[in-house]
Amino acid sequence: MDWKHRHVLDLKDWKREDILFLLDQAKNMDELIDRPIKKVPALRGKLVVNLFFEASTRTRVSFELAEKLLSADVVNWSASGSSVSKGETLRDTAWTLEAMGADAVVVRHGASGSAHYLARKLRRAVVFNGGDGAYSHPTQALLDAYTAWKHFSNLEGRKMAILGDVLHSRVARSDIQVFKTLGCEVVLSGPETLMPFDVDSLGVRYEPDPVKAVKNADIVYLLRIQRERQEEGLFPSLDEYHLRFGADEKLVSMASKSALVMHPGPINRRVEIDSSVADGAQSRILQQVRSGVAVRMALLYLCLGGVMA
Amino acid sequence: MMLFKNAKLFDGRSFFDGTCDLLVREGQIEALGRDLSAVDAENFDLSGKVLSPGFVDLHCHMRDPGFEWREDIETAAAAAAAGGFSTAVAMPNTDPATDNDALVRYVIEKGKRAGFARILSAGAVTKNREGKELAEMGKMAAAGCVLFTDDGAPVGSSRLFRTALQYSRALGIRIMEHPEETSLSRGGQVNEGRCSSIAGLKGIPASAEEIGVFRAVSLCRETGVPVHVTHLSTRNSVSLVREAKKEGLPVTCDVTPHHLRFSEQSVIDSGFDSRFKVNPPLRSEEDLESLWEALADGTIDAIATDHAPWHLDEKDLPFQEAPFGIASIECAFPGVFTSWLNRGKPFGLERLLALFTSGPSSVLPHEWSSLGKLTVKGKAELVVLDLDLDRKVTVEEWKSKARLSPWEGLSLSGWPVMTLVEGRVVFDRLRG
Amino acid sequence: MTLREKAKLMSETDMERAIRRMAHEIVEMNKGLEKVVLVGIQRRGVFLAQRIRDVLRQFEQIKVPTGELDITLYRDDLTLLHDHPVVHSTSMPLDITGKHVVLVDDVIYTGRTIRAALDALMDLGRPDIVQLAVLVDRGHRELPIAPNFVGKNVPTSREEVVEVRVKEIDGINEVVICERQEG
Repeated sequence: MDWKHRHVLDLKDWKREDILFLLDQAKNMDELIDRPIKKVPALRGKLVVNLFFEASTRTRVSFELAEKLLSADVVNWSASGSSVSKGETLRDTAWTLEAMGADAVVVRHGASGSAHYLARKLRRAVVFNGGDGAYSHPTQALLDAYTAWKHFSNLEGRKMAILGDVLHSRVARSDIQVFKTLGCEVVLSGPETLMPFDVDSLGVRYEPDPVKAVKNADIVYLLRIQRERQEEGLFPSLDEYHLRFGADEKLVSMASKSALVMHPGPINRRVEIDSSVADGAQSRILQQVRSGVAVRMALLYLCLGGVMA
Repeated sequence: MMLFKNAKLFDGRSFFDGTCDLLVREGQIEALGRDLSAVDAENFDLSGKVLSPGFVDLHCHMRDPGFEWREDIETAAAAAAAGGFSTAVAMPNTDPATDNDALVRYVIEKGKRAGFARILSAGAVTKNREGKELAEMGKMAAAGCVLFTDDGAPVGSSRLFRTALQYSRALGIRIMEHPEETSLSRGGQVNEGRCSSIAGLKGIPASAEEIGVFRAVSLCRETGVPVHVTHLSTRNSVSLVREAKKEGLPVTCDVTPHHLRFSEQSVIDSGFDSRFKVNPPLRSEEDLESLWEALADGTIDAIATDHAPWHLDEKDLPFQEAPFGIASIECAFPGVFTSWLNRGKPFGLERLLALFTSGPSSVLPHEWSSLGKLTVKGKAELVVLDLDLDRKVTVEEWKSKARLSPWEGLSLSGWPVMTLVEGRVVFDRLRG
Repeated sequence: MTLREKAKLMSETDMERAIRRMAHEIVEMNKGLEKVVLVGIQRRGVFLAQRIRDVLRQFEQIKVPTGELDITLYRDDLTLLHDHPVVHSTSMPLDITGKHVVLVDDVIYTGRTIRAALDALMDLGRPDIVQLAVLVDRGHRELPIAPNFVGKNVPTSREEVVEVRVKEIDGINEVVICERQEG
């Protein structure tokens, strides 16, 4: 297998074989997490910088764990209180890190397109997109795919319903890319004001009625509803959102019997998801977290391991 | 004295049959015809080349006074001349805004001292472009301003726009409206449609521009005062102007070179390179096609560059953080000419050249309307074009201070090789 | 760069005989099979280990626990490989602490794969003894590592490649020697 992806910025150009290969490698990384000695020397001597401009404990810790399990040296650089708040540009920060010898940068930034921007600016280091604006969160989508794939083995022809604020969601956009490539039918639901303007261009369908959207779905994927969106006037209240689109047991029962419930976290109980569903048997939310480490290990290894600069 | 021989001569409307000679003397066109000769004249053999009235740019951001690190009147004038423009109109969104006669004079004087393209000045419609009070349009007119505009923004209130139209009627100077309904466009980064949906960037809907155009047309109809809408980018915008013209209303409009070449897909394909960030945004393929249709059927009066230079450090940022604006004046004509060629010449070359010459000059006040035309005894404002010359755009070599442009690296043909203003050579690639 | 097959070193029958002999040597050296665990090194070592286990089951009526070990993440010479190394599975049927681990691989050459395997094993537990069984020893060691059980010693030059083929992967059981060629 010739691994062709140098950076991991989005999943636009990933073919089915690429994704399945990555999932297979993730499976073999998964086993390492349970070992008594959680370390392999594959990335020994490599310096990975986690450059997080947006607060994120979950993704950063997951990346950090993956990096450390592979014996990489890890440096965490968070925006607040750093030179960035003093007005240093993203470009200068990146060059500074590269000058310090960073082999890879995991970047999370509030502006769509920033991971691509960074990849253009760095000469040597490899870029992993930890989430940029509302465009892409490729590692999240891959770990979602891994979670679903571990359960279903074959995702071809399966139906996935994504409920929530797709308009502002990089997770949704990346999941759409991955699951469609793997052969799933993807349906979106939620208030129209939270949907992208041209849903066709994403290759998916919008179904205003969540019951219809979820019907026979194999995966019910819930997105976090942010208070700021309600404050922007895109929908009247969280309570109304919960009433119309919240994933309660009744809604989930409309999906297929073996359906999985997933959520990128952190969850808003009683807004987009009820506790009984989040903690229920069909929920894969915690497995997603574990998958995150395995998937990120596989990506780090494939893009960084064994490659001379 | 300069004698241009054997050129394909365009007079602002049409070509002369065959080739033609033109004699320039003391800043004027002394003679036009065949087999001209003159003692003591420098001879130029323009076989295979086109000689046209110098181009006129209605819309150029020169950033001076106030933002000179981005561009100043000298570099803008030099850049315009290099682009084949003998005249360029400076936009008033400077700091301080060009909303008074002193600044209008400043801009014109500085342009004269620079000695490249002629710089004319637009004046703001409202004081400080705030959209609250009328600027001193009469005084600015007396100082020589040629357009009124709050560009960068639409005129703040419809009521004020209407008042401004009525007030300016007597001055014979057109208001150039930047059509935008800002409550719809606020926070937007890209075209609302395919691009915003895929990129997860906030979209600027077509309606934001169309509502602005509708407003301008409506006020033009009601007051009967001529109005010009600038940098149209959507199919419905051009439809509105087309219908208005059919109705006989004095509405004119322009489009930019970048909206004729790039679409929202370029934003996606470039990996969200801020070079492609502009307001109005690059639109859909359908919108782009409709602009070309409108060029062909005469709906569009002019091509105006909306040259918007930024300092490299300001523009070289992630897409969402970068400012809007595309710099292009030095390759504007080749850019449009090459697209026209690639499309199989959808209309005559005369029409294309008119869009850079007589078209824009017809929007200017009466005393400047001769700028886009060649007449004997008229001012020698000329550009020599080598339509067969093929060159790559190299932004590093630009006379403009801008260093980041979506045109970078593109192979274009149809380059200006000499530009004259009042008979003086202000750009020369012809004499070796 | 391609490989040109030069000669067949072992036929299917030769392989069977060598495996049978090595299996008996394992029993002898460990004075029985009580603490023995076979660990095949991915990929072909895994199948060879299974064959040794089958021989032992046949002759000693004991099913020796057999595991798989992927050493890709422990290699020190990844950069020398052409294609990107794929990570395969690692699974041990039981805790190897206190056991006699017999590593099984198809070919030993520089010894670096075995060094990586030793590192991997140590991260999985603390065996009492580690032994090494290889089907072919082709010489040119770069580290002080020697196999305990060898199917066949084959002197080779550095331009040659020894390929062990197993039915499960290659469709045939044989050992061949190849030569690197440009083009």
